[in-house]
Amino acid sequence: MSVTSTSASSGASARESLAARLADALRHGQVIAQGEALRPYECDGLSAYRATPLAVAIPTSEEEVAAVMKVARDTSTPLVARGSGTGLSGGALPLTDGILMSMAKFNRIVRVDALARQARVQPGVTNLRISQHVAPLGLYYAPDPSSQIACSIGGNVAENSGGVHCLKYGLTVHNILRVRAITIDGEVLVLGSEALDAPGYDLLALATGSEGLLAVTLEVTVKLLPRPEVAQVVMASFPDVESAGDAVANVIGAGIVPAGLEMMDRLATRAVEDFVHAGYDLEAGAILLAESDGTREEVEHEIAQVIEVMRASGATGISCSRDDAERLRFWSGRKAAFPAVGRISPDYYCIDGSIPRGALAHVLRRTEEMSTRYGLRCANVFHAGDGNLHPLILYDANIPGELERTEAFAAELLELCIEVGGTITGEHGVGIEKINQMCTQFSTPELLQFHAIKAAFDAAGLLNPGKAVPTLHRCAEYGAMHVKAGQLPHPGLPRF
Amino acid sequence: MEALAVASKRERTLAALRAIEPPLAIVADEEGLKPFETDAFISHRATPMLAVLPETEAQVRHIVRACRKLGVPVVSRGAGTGISGGAIPDPDGVLLVLTRMRRIVSLDAAARTAMVEPGVRNLKISEVASAHGLFYAPDPSSQLVCSIGGNVAENSGGVHCLKYGLTTHNILDVRVVDGDGEPLELGSPALDTPGYDLLALVTGSEGNLGVVTRVTVRLVPLPERTDTLLAAFASVGDAARAVGEIIGTGIVPAALEMMDRIVIEACERAMRLGFPTSAEALLLVELDGAEAEVVVEAGRVRTILAACGATEVRVAADAAERERLWRARKGAFAALATILPDFYTIDGTIPRRCLPEVLDRIFELTAEYGLLVGNVFHAGDGNLHPCIFYDSNKPGDMEKSEALGGRILELCLEVGGTITGEHGVGVEKLRQMCSQFRAPEIEAFHAVKRAFDPEGILNPGKAVPTLKRCAEWGGMHMHAGALPHAQIPRF
Repeated sequence: MSVTSTSASSGASARESLAARLADALRHGQVIAQGEALRPYECDGLSAYRATPLAVAIPTSEEEVAAVMKVARDTSTPLVARGSGTGLSGGALPLTDGILMSMAKFNRIVRVDALARQARVQPGVTNLRISQHVAPLGLYYAPDPSSQIACSIGGNVAENSGGVHCLKYGLTVHNILRVRAITIDGEVLVLGSEALDAPGYDLLALATGSEGLLAVTLEVTVKLLPRPEVAQVVMASFPDVESAGDAVANVIGAGIVPAGLEMMDRLATRAVEDFVHAGYDLEAGAILLAESDGTREEVEHEIAQVIEVMRASGATGISCSRDDAERLRFWSGRKAAFPAVGRISPDYYCIDGSIPRGALAHVLRRTEEMSTRYGLRCANVFHAGDGNLHPLILYDANIPGELERTEAFAAELLELCIEVGGTITGEHGVGIEKINQMCTQFSTPELLQFHAIKAAFDAAGLLNPGKAVPTLHRCAEYGAMHVKAGQLPHPGLPRF
Repeated sequence: MEALAVASKRERTLAALRAIEPPLAIVADEEGLKPFETDAFISHRATPMLAVLPETEAQVRHIVRACRKLGVPVVSRGAGTGISGGAIPDPDGVLLVLTRMRRIVSLDAAARTAMVEPGVRNLKISEVASAHGLFYAPDPSSQLVCSIGGNVAENSGGVHCLKYGLTTHNILDVRVVDGDGEPLELGSPALDTPGYDLLALVTGSEGNLGVVTRVTVRLVPLPERTDTLLAAFASVGDAARAVGEIIGTGIVPAALEMMDRIVIEACERAMRLGFPTSAEALLLVELDGAEAEVVVEAGRVRTILAACGATEVRVAADAAERERLWRARKGAFAALATILPDFYTIDGTIPRRCLPEVLDRIFELTAEYGLLVGNVFHAGDGNLHPCIFYDSNKPGDMEKSEALGGRILELCLEVGGTITGEHGVGVEKLRQMCSQFRAPEIEAFHAVKRAFDPEGILNPGKAVPTLKRCAEWGGMHMHAGALPHAQIPRF
């Protein structure tokens, strides 16, 4: 894990001298360098991985951020920036020989422009707070990761977060206009602009989703949307996951873009129903939830279309929310699915991969086969409309070999995603969790290109090293580097 | 001596290109090279050393590798319709013409995607997709001829990009050959791609980062219904206010275009469409989507137009009438040519709320320079296209129009906008880039360029100025630390 020459033996003194330098650099901010106080920073949402940083720095101003980065630069100490620590792929996992810089104090909403429908916020502002703050203006911020109560907008930019509604409203990258960021060299860059177009290379898109490897976000201008007049949800039952998968493809194929289109299989609905009593059809092999939002006329029209397509795709039961209370009840099960699954199994491993929608039925069938072969139950509850899978593999870490079997199952699932023309992530990022799968996803020249980009922003490799992009060396050890240059990619895809 | 060296470099390059297997079309004679000496930014011209017309990605790789070895610049070109000079040849370089790579590789109606080669024309994609009830949304005015590879290079927009987005929002996957001759696949047909977003980075990079060899575009269903409304206003301010109100209520029209009196009169003279010539401004609003949605939205738009003081509102009764209304907008630039022999079209973007103020100030600047300006533009996007009229036969007139253009772009920056909307930087706006960006930002662009093209052989001298050039021009603004755009009204 260790990247720099600071070895464990000289750890104590390295820690002290670094803490002293950081304390000098911060006038109002805080430095934590020992004991229990470091604990909360040991991991993010991927809690299976933990590490204690040399020191935690909590700056309170942009000048202090620049000063912390200067310390990192001057001492060649790696630096990991952290928002709320809700990431699920370990992007904010500290490095044992590094500084963890928390952006939590940057929690100001700088400005809201209702006419232009924009808000300029600091990176530590939580996702939901933006929507709450602009609610009196009839506006909201669209991307809604499940962790939106806690996750910060800076973290959303770093991970390019999605959410249940990204099918219609897009990911973070589609909902931000401008980011001010600071590079490890201490240069403040303005990426994007508050107007439609920005000349030059699209560094805003490049920085979005770069998992803290290129720069640290100082300020974000987000787009705001008018709150839809009404929202309504259709719940449809299907005999099996394949027919539900086909229904998803048919809805999209019909030109309908629901605000959300989610699938749950029987294992998931049963786990949830015991927990929240959402009123799900427990005999169905799978259920679909399709939400429509907009003006009254638009929603009415779209709901009618959705019901027609669901019926034609073999739905065995269809119900439609009559009011907002019922709509929220339908969603309650979906939102509680992960904790509910936690009740029926001691441990579960959540996979995050994307596939072309047309391959849904095929991939779900293959997942069932794998589940039988590995002898592990697998619950499916996911963003079907996006083709963003979240299979939950249920296991018991106390049974020897189960974790390893789970990991093998997960790896095979991700390879399957690539095989059908998909990718190894949907919305959770690569972090350290999927660094090996990156070797399968990309060819050598592509990985070299990523490293060249990294070097363009951070030649010394001090920002969040070891995350998101694997070294070629690591890929060679993993033995999975595919040579796809010159070959037709995804030969299994139907053409024309 | 120098001529001899150039000749020998040319000979060596020619030999290297001729050695490529399978053999490719090479243009080496003066006559044959003539048609390639400019794109649609015709005030700048250069004859390339050689031009090549590859038919496969493998040939493109070989060409780039050969040129890199010899240190010869490579400028790629699609249909040559770009209007900022992005495809103007390098006199010491090879022009890589991609028009022969024009196969539609596949079309997947269920996934709503099409995989095409870079030379395929923009409109061709929609023509082929229409059999499946689909179309490709970005529609630059040149869509009849412009190529999808060029659209990717320039991140082209069009009248419908307000609702459907720019090229970058409508492509899923691109194959490029970088400056080392390595093929890279950027993006994926699935929702998300891990790693840095190199697809977005390359889109709009004006041929500086790689040569596009294949594009997978997103197709969208043809709308069930389309309504087009034309509204006349007694002042530009009223029309601008209507634009703000329409967007403010949450309606996203498929298109929202504005024309001022000078343009209206020119169109009327050239096309006789029966427009209300007494109007100071016309708004063209197009709504598309599901039947119910369009009917309701059209009703709301009419209410807003009336409330903002529209003196007349016409609704196209059928496709033929819609066509007629659009003919004015699409033919506007041709009509403007009837006013004065020459005009210079500016392309800048401003935050929508600044529209009335900026239009007023453009009018003041115009009076100050003693020139005439017509405005016809994508109002919904805040994308301005002021046309400055001049007579190149009158000494000093062209210089004056260029100076006025520069002032207008500075004005865009001042209100928090940018120096481009959809035409790119190319060679035309290199100088304004020094005003738009600070030194560290320009340096970041160069670092990114080196990451893709370490030898700097791809389209050198375009899109991003060197810091040295910025220093010579004296245009580099130091707005670090200062509150940007302090004069903008807040909240």
